[in-house]
Amino acid sequence: MWQIDPEKCLQCGRCQTECVLSVSAVKCFHANQVCGYCDLCGGYYRANVKELNTAAENMMCPTGAITRLFVEEPYFEYTIDESLCNGCGKCVKGCSSFGNGSLFLQIQQELCLNCNECKISKVCVSGAIQRVPVRQGYKLKDHA
Amino acid sequence: MLNLLGVARFPKPDFTSGYQYPEIVHGMPWESFWVWLDVVLLVGMMSLVAWAVHRRPSRKIIFSVSIVSVLYFGFFRTGCVCSIGSIQNVVLALVDNNYRLPFVVLLFFLLPLLFAIFFGRVFCAGVCPMGALQELVNVRNFRISRAVASALSFFPWIYLGFAILYAATRSQFIICRFDPFIPIFRLSGDVGMIVFGVSLLVISIFIGRPFCRFLCPYGAILSVVSSVATKRVEVTKKSCINCMLCHNACPVDAIREPYANKVGESRMVGVRRVLLYIMLLPLLTIGGGWLLSSQSDTLSIAHRDVYLYTLLQNNYEDKNMPTEVEAFYEMGRSIDELETSVMSVRESFNRWAWFVGALMGFVLGWKLIRLSVKRTRKTYEIEPSACVACGKCFNYCPQNISVKNE
Amino acid sequence: MNRNVYRNIAFVTVAFALALFVMLGVSWVQMRQATPLQTEVMETLKQLNESNTENVELAEEIRQLDLLSRKAYFTQESHLKSGAWILCAMALVIGLCLRMYFKDTKNLPEKELDPIDEWLTKSNARKYIGWGVGGLAAASVLFAVLSSGIVRGSMNDNSEMSPLAENDTVLSDTPADTTANALVAETDVVDTTKVDSSTLVATVEEPVDTFPTPKLTFNAFRGNNSSGRSAARGIPTSWNLKSGKNVLWQKSIPKHGYNSPVVNGCNIFLTGADEQARELYCFDLWTGELRWTVKADGISGSPSSMPQVNEDTGLAASTVATNGKQVCAIFATGDVICADMDGKRLWAKNLGVPDNHYGFASSLLMYGNELIIQYDNNSDAKLIALSVTNGNQLWSKSRNDQIAWSSPIIAKAAGQQAIIVMGNPAITAYSASNGSELWRVECMSGEVGSSPCASDGVIYGASEYATCIAINAETGETIWEADDCLPECSSPVATKDMLYVATSYGAVCAYNTETGEVVKQHELTTPFYSSPIIADGKIYLFSNSGKCYIFSAGKEFNLITSFETGENTYATPAFTDGMMVVRTDKSLYVVKKES
Repeated sequence: MWQIDPEKCLQCGRCQTECVLSVSAVKCFHANQVCGYCDLCGGYYRANVKELNTAAENMMCPTGAITRLFVEEPYFEYTIDESLCNGCGKCVKGCSSFGNGSLFLQIQQELCLNCNECKISKVCVSGAIQRVPVRQGYKLKDHA
Repeated sequence: MLNLLGVARFPKPDFTSGYQYPEIVHGMPWESFWVWLDVVLLVGMMSLVAWAVHRRPSRKIIFSVSIVSVLYFGFFRTGCVCSIGSIQNVVLALVDNNYRLPFVVLLFFLLPLLFAIFFGRVFCAGVCPMGALQELVNVRNFRISRAVASALSFFPWIYLGFAILYAATRSQFIICRFDPFIPIFRLSGDVGMIVFGVSLLVISIFIGRPFCRFLCPYGAILSVVSSVATKRVEVTKKSCINCMLCHNACPVDAIREPYANKVGESRMVGVRRVLLYIMLLPLLTIGGGWLLSSQSDTLSIAHRDVYLYTLLQNNYEDKNMPTEVEAFYEMGRSIDELETSVMSVRESFNRWAWFVGALMGFVLGWKLIRLSVKRTRKTYEIEPSACVACGKCFNYCPQNISVKNE
Repeated sequence: MNRNVYRNIAFVTVAFALALFVMLGVSWVQMRQATPLQTEVMETLKQLNESNTENVELAEEIRQLDLLSRKAYFTQESHLKSGAWILCAMALVIGLCLRMYFKDTKNLPEKELDPIDEWLTKSNARKYIGWGVGGLAAASVLFAVLSSGIVRGSMNDNSEMSPLAENDTVLSDTPADTTANALVAETDVVDTTKVDSSTLVATVEEPVDTFPTPKLTFNAFRGNNSSGRSAARGIPTSWNLKSGKNVLWQKSIPKHGYNSPVVNGCNIFLTGADEQARELYCFDLWTGELRWTVKADGISGSPSSMPQVNEDTGLAASTVATNGKQVCAIFATGDVICADMDGKRLWAKNLGVPDNHYGFASSLLMYGNELIIQYDNNSDAKLIALSVTNGNQLWSKSRNDQIAWSSPIIAKAAGQQAIIVMGNPAITAYSASNGSELWRVECMSGEVGSSPCASDGVIYGASEYATCIAINAETGETIWEADDCLPECSSPVATKDMLYVATSYGAVCAYNTETGEVVKQHELTTPFYSSPIIADGKIYLFSNSGKCYIFSAGKEFNLITSFETGENTYATPAFTDGMMVVRTDKSLYVVKKES
């Protein structure tokens, strides 16, 4: 099995384009327990956003896969719709450069074809994709 | 004073409304189950084919196994891991102590070889989804010149050589990367590979199994093993009546016609040629090794570090800097560390290029010797190394038909 | 059924399949390469929207386009999937039709291609193999010869290059010569509350050469008198370490340290330390060549084992100070060393190992012949003045303060040149000539890591665990206090109108110096340990992650530009004529506009 080490990932965007599947098996995951839950979220909004609403010009995600739910002032709960996510990593880049880094890319093992040699791993600029034992199929950021 | 250098820029929220973190479970496929089912099916299907070939000459069973294999191993399991690709895993496991070879992959590598020792290439017959797919689309065979085919059958060895070279140097799995049928099984993939796969399939409508005969590196290993098989594939259990129908039916041209050895050449010339080739064998082996090792630096660019290093030799404007180079700087890797890595990669490339080149040279010499030996045949015989046990000939043999009629 | 029917079905299906295949291929390529969701049109529109406030139509247009492209993307994707399956079905039909078509003919014996004589076949095969392999081998030999030829060619190029390289080294020797005789920088402290380029200009004229000695100096942490301002002009507002744009050079620093570089003439001074050695470095401003290294070793009273320090403070947190003749450095061991401009160690002494749980961090400052050391530690806090020429103690003042990591500044207070020291719990002004206390304001608490600053007769001090305060320098009266935006490690800088503060939690604020109100605040969500410096009418500020922010140093306090430099930066940059010297986590580089 193959998995991305979120510590090494640089969000170059190749996961989106290089996977043998037409929509990449790489998806964005969210570690709820790492998140700061702010209103102005670097993974949710584009840089220099003017209004904090869900209008298309403000959103970071090109497919609208990230939704959020108001919990209590000033906190939000973020959820990712994996069927919409294409693994481009824009939100991850935004989150790790402005936020706590609670968004991260992982290979969704149910979608992954488990190629003998992962095609993305060959072009991964940081060598973040490595073989992992089946029992440790995900490298999650929760419980940190 | 100076602390908190880390990712946690913002404190975790302090929920007052009794909010609970949502439980997120990331699904895992039932991989261990499917993998073992693969092994069970592999063994079962190979046993079935072996039985169909040796005990009860029947094409129908082999053909149905082919359909099952294409549907299960091909379209359902999307081809990975296959025996052909497992060569690379085995090689990698031999050189890299950090890579733990999964037992299942080892089984995929060994079981077809084991069956080949006893029953011939029953794996190729219909268990291998690549072979089965070509078998299913094959409709009408047009023969190609045996001399050309014989020369082309050297290609799998070159392919195998490079596969070993790139796997042993931890560069790439080229068999997986250039597999023509996997994109078809997945219904997605590289455009070039899809076109290649489709054209191979179109060719295999009219020429039997072009991939198996002229490309497949695992087939090359199997052909060696199956030539010493204890039980050879036979067209019929009865005596041959030299009707040549089986010869016409064979899609891989493995059935040789009877041949009275009456060469116009004097015996001495023939013997001398064989002796010459035997003396040439070590020369070819060393020559092959030298030739490939002289190219090893060029070949080593397939390794990620060497590639990065060559990229770093150029100066880039800010805009068109390759992502690899950007990442190199971003990760703060030092060029010295990369340089040492490049040196060791090049060194291992050189070593393995010697080995692989020598292997290719040896195979070449061996092939030439084989082609210089004369044999006499009284009846139609199956060449075991070329026969893929597809069973097409069974139904063509009049002797078999008479059995059925009885 | 007539077999021709099968043939016709096969032909028609092949035609359809080919058409479908081409269509799917085109659609696939489109989807993979154009990434319909991030088209150029979309991105430019979005950028336009960012620069264009209150344009409702534009925003509406973006929304429409976004919806359209998302729709297109997902329908295309599902079409692709179903198209692939249809293609498979078509292939199945073709296969079956062909099978039926050839059903009767496949038994027919075929014309034998090969000669009857098997031996001839084998001979031919040998020939083909021979030719084929021979051809391959010849091709690879040819390639080998060619590629090695290319290698040789490039090696020749290198040898032609080498004389040039020699020239370079010859040239790089010159600044060393010029600096040796040319450096008579200003040592007298003039009224520095007003930064005026003329007061900072060195008096010696230089002949024009390729590497002129800059007239401006930057003699201590945050500049001369630690004011946080430089008269430097023509500093680039963008550079790139990877491409080298506007970067004169970049060199690695032998040993680590959080101290900041200082510049005098063509020399850059800074220190580095680890468990093995404490070292003072001098780099050449123009070439980046490490001119010399002076070790702080063999000092009597120096501890044999290093004191326990926090990793984030290190053994070399204090910035050096120079006057153009001597340069002095202090380390967490309490070792003070002084060297001349040629790297000759003049004197060294140990002040007693500081009892400091994070590590000694206060930077040095020079006033005339005095080397000022704020020695605030857990036991016996004091302010020490040593003779720069021989290291003898000129005076020492016991301070009724607790431990602090702040650095002193020089400013005019109570009618004379004063040393302003911020500690816990007080900001104190001492006479620069004899160390007598001029005034004392108790206002601080907690761990004080930030340093004070001064402008136009007002002393400012701010610390995260206390307050932000403005004090009348003449009388020591508190003008205002605020607690809106407080720094932890970064030190503030002030002009007549504004006080600028960068915090550890990512806010950069401007206070009105008259009222103490936060006039403007930038939420940058990245911590700042480095201090802002005002130069060329702009404020230069580095975040810990190495992002450079440049603000306009005025009442507007606008963010002019910001960009990642790619290397963690904790030190405060130094400025001189048209150049900025930046110390990053690992390296040192000089920013200069490319001519």
